[in-house]
Amino acid sequence: MKEFLQLTIPGLMVGSLYALVAAAVVLVYKSTRVVSLAHGQLLAFGALFFWMGIVPFNLPLVLAIPMALACSIWMGWLVERITLRPLIGQPLISAFLMTFAIFMALDGIFQLILKGESKTYATRLSLGEFEIIGIPIRVVQLISFGVVLLVFLSLALFFRFTKTGLGMRATAEDHQLSQSTGINVRTIFSLIWIFSAIVAAIAGMGTGYVMDIHFPLPYIGIKGLIVALFGGLDSLPGALLAGLILGVLENLIAGYLDPLVGGGLKDVAAYALLLIILLVKPYGLFGLKRIERV
Amino acid sequence: MRPCGTFDERYSQDMAILRIKRHWAALIGALLFLYTFPLYGSYYFISLLNSLSITIIIVLGLQLVSGYCGQISFGQAAFMAVGAYTSAILTGTMGLSFFLALPLSGIIAGLIGLGGGAPSLRIKGFYLAMATIAIHFVVMWLILHLQITGTTQGLHPPPPRIAGFEFDSDEKIYYIIITVMLLMTYGARNIVRTRVGRAFVAIRDNDLAAEVMGIELYRYKLLAFFISCFYAGIAGSLWAHWIQMVHPEQFTLLHALNYIGMLIVGGGGSIPGVFFGVLFLRLLDEGVMLIAPMLASVFPWIGIHPAASMSVSVFGIVLILFLIFEPRGLAHRWEIFKASYRLYPFSH
Repeated sequence: MKEFLQLTIPGLMVGSLYALVAAAVVLVYKSTRVVSLAHGQLLAFGALFFWMGIVPFNLPLVLAIPMALACSIWMGWLVERITLRPLIGQPLISAFLMTFAIFMALDGIFQLILKGESKTYATRLSLGEFEIIGIPIRVVQLISFGVVLLVFLSLALFFRFTKTGLGMRATAEDHQLSQSTGINVRTIFSLIWIFSAIVAAIAGMGTGYVMDIHFPLPYIGIKGLIVALFGGLDSLPGALLAGLILGVLENLIAGYLDPLVGGGLKDVAAYALLLIILLVKPYGLFGLKRIERV
Repeated sequence: MRPCGTFDERYSQDMAILRIKRHWAALIGALLFLYTFPLYGSYYFISLLNSLSITIIIVLGLQLVSGYCGQISFGQAAFMAVGAYTSAILTGTMGLSFFLALPLSGIIAGLIGLGGGAPSLRIKGFYLAMATIAIHFVVMWLILHLQITGTTQGLHPPPPRIAGFEFDSDEKIYYIIITVMLLMTYGARNIVRTRVGRAFVAIRDNDLAAEVMGIELYRYKLLAFFISCFYAGIAGSLWAHWIQMVHPEQFTLLHALNYIGMLIVGGGGSIPGVFFGVLFLRLLDEGVMLIAPMLASVFPWIGIHPAASMSVSVFGIVLILFLIFEPRGLAHRWEIFKASYRLYPFSH
């Protein structure tokens, strides 16, 4: 039982970060119908901006977090403005390929900045750890778990009660109809990318704490996409649940099955899971099934 | 579009790929150039042509499944790996001749590709694209963990040999690679003109409408995956015997992403587009490799080895530009050029 908890609790912590990346993807999909591969990069750059604030500039946390968020907001806005705005009205698949192109372009810049090294800020931020029934839990991870839940709660409230949030939901239904009711679809698109960049950057700061900032970091974005597909591409609660499930499942597989096959199962578990989900429930746990007309 | 005054009098004329004498002259000239190239070409250009031809074969397969049939596949690198490993095992461990192992590795890659195409029954678009990414990782994980594929050590297949003659250098295997590439191009050019190719295009344009018209969706989608993986497998086998070393590091997701990029730049739904896309991106890559060290010496702050990351960035930026300004790719430009050349001096 203790071993099980030892695997489950860190799994929940990591899973909450997956859920956050997935939330960024879901946000974009919900209002623009674009599935984004680019959020892995927004996440990685969020972590990188945070590291820059803390290590080279030696800023206190109160300044480093707003700085990283501001840079991410600027980046999310820039990505939407330069690359996706010209594609409004084009087939959705070309927007998907565009996010893949953005991923590549930013990946090169990310690696150029890293120069093959790996950066870490975990040592600067150590707030110590405590034990519950013999399981060590780091305080920072607990805080990040809390932040994730807070972000999800505020997103849910935002979509439900604010005018902009309702506008975003209307935009998701039909661009032309919502435009004729006075919603500015372009502003909504910009806003949604800024929001998702913020969410991705928060996920990046958390992920950068768990694992170092080095070249595979952007590929967490693919994991986020898997989680989003698992939970259903247009469902925020689905993203949260699926993220937690994937995080726990990965740790359990690493703990119980890896010794049997000689390691490495953790990396492939998510992809195997995705294949099974797509075959059994193509629209995910809570996704809307779309009915098409010719 | 053809200029006025050119009429086809027989069906064979209407169906011909090479219509006029100038086409034949161009074909024979190109063949002569390709087959005599090792006599005067330098080592660098021969190996460049080798890798270009192999890439062309892979992207031809991708063109059939993604450009013509509309099923975007990120799994091409993994299926190339399947072909390479199959060929290496058949020749190295079992002692089969390369010329038997080449088609066999294509067929085995194609059969495994059927597994990759299986999800296309229920999902499409980016769902399918994500499924092929998942298939890539599962296949590569299996290759890395199975005993028969040599795990992290990789395999060392022998060079092709026929009647005591060994194709053991770049110049010698060049002839095999070029010949296979030309055959595969001829095959692809013809597949897309047949019933099968037309069915692919119908599925791409609207799969529900295609089904209503009597096209068996699942059969044709699986066929598209089989053909594309067959191409990837053949390319993998050639690669394995050219480099004489197969290792999981040679078939990463980045490679698969590159092939998709070549398809976008070249233009979907066009066989010449494959050639344009591969040539454009590979030459751009070589250019970046050439310029990057100079840039690094002028601006020391970009690091000592900026070539790899710079080429990724340039690739992404080129892709963004193409998607915004030329979504139909270079093949579209080529069609415009051909039309205006034929109709010259008139503009319409």
